[in-house]
Amino acid sequence: MGEALEAYLRIEDAIDGSLEGVIRDTESSAQSIIKHIRRLYDSANTLASYLDGTSLQVGDLGKSIIESVAFLSEVGTFIDRLPAKMEHDLKSVQAVVEEIKSLSEMTSEVKGVSLQSHLLAANAAVEASRAGSAGAAFKVVADEMRRLAATSNAMAVKMNKGLSRAQEIVKNGLQSTISESSRQLAEVSHAAASLRKLQNNFDDMSQYYKTRFSVVIKHNEDLVKDIADALGQIQYQDVVRQCIERIRIVAARRNEALRGLMDPNGDDSACLTELPVQLELILDDYMTEERKHCHSERQSRGGDSPKKIEMF
Amino acid sequence: MAKTVMIVDDSSTMLMSLKNSLEIAGFKVVEAADGALAMKKLQTGSKPDLIITDINMPNMGGIEFIGKARGLSGFRFTPILALTTESQQTKRDEAKKLGATGWLLKPVNGADLSKIIKQLLPGA
Repeated sequence: MGEALEAYLRIEDAIDGSLEGVIRDTESSAQSIIKHIRRLYDSANTLASYLDGTSLQVGDLGKSIIESVAFLSEVGTFIDRLPAKMEHDLKSVQAVVEEIKSLSEMTSEVKGVSLQSHLLAANAAVEASRAGSAGAAFKVVADEMRRLAATSNAMAVKMNKGLSRAQEIVKNGLQSTISESSRQLAEVSHAAASLRKLQNNFDDMSQYYKTRFSVVIKHNEDLVKDIADALGQIQYQDVVRQCIERIRIVAARRNEALRGLMDPNGDDSACLTELPVQLELILDDYMTEERKHCHSERQSRGGDSPKKIEMF
Repeated sequence: MAKTVMIVDDSSTMLMSLKNSLEIAGFKVVEAADGALAMKKLQTGSKPDLIITDINMPNMGGIEFIGKARGLSGFRFTPILALTTESQQTKRDEAKKLGATGWLLKPVNGADLSKIIKQLLPGA
């Protein structure tokens, strides 16, 4: 029996060694898991910060676009009104052209008057020569009249030429400029409309990404919550460690009691008689100690189970 | 400013798990591996806003630590929570008598712990 007992105790020692190893390994594994969980949390936190930052930048960009488009809209409105204004100016210019035309007609009348004056002066000169010496003074006046008529005529011709040139310049030059400007302004107005469309598209895109961001942030929050739960569950390694250590303690006590049987100086029959009592005591102590500890969900689900959280 | 929590436990896994849970919840953390080391820290300047302690520890257990911590000037009203596998009512009553604020069974969910601490520390 001594040999059998010795062999049995060697098995127990081996088991105890394994249990110690299990405690070390689970501890190491649990701490490794905690480190991974923490890295996961840090990544989630970084993502959340990045999303916050991006969201702010998108918001700032949106504000900037809105301000730019508002400004361009004002420019566009002004430009929209310009062709009408220029049309109005064109009409004023046309009125000027008409005035020039009237002035030109007036110079024709002046030419007519100077021609008649010239004829009259010619007739007067003829009459003056018929009057002989009595008509000499009259001849001078007639000659002077002829010179005045010639001068008036020349001035009228010059004025007419100038007015015609002005009319051409105003009609051809300014009109084509206004037409070209009207065309360019229409293009700019079209650009302003395109920018308004861009703003609408940006608003749509912004709303789309805002929704996406909200979903990602919600997932992130759920992830953080799950991380907190996982860190709590990892504590179960300590609960298991304590449970195993209590098992090791009771096994050591039992083995010590059994070693008593192997004591060469001991009384075999007395030891054998006392052994059941000793073992019963060890069992009672172990069960009492076990009842002091709640270490599983299964235990805490019972009607008399202790409260998990009690505030005093 | 972030509140400070002292955690006292002889299990390095427990210390690591609690430390990370509390830091994620926005607290600063001070650790001690047993009641004696925790007392030393309290006596040499550490001023946590709340203490969480295990009960079964070598050198100085949690019950003894709670009684001694309450005796220190500056810690009469500091919330002290016991976090343990012990479920005996007599142990709970003893801890309560010595000044414990609450009793939590392991494992404790990170969100639950954070909620309890925020209730005990307004402004946390």
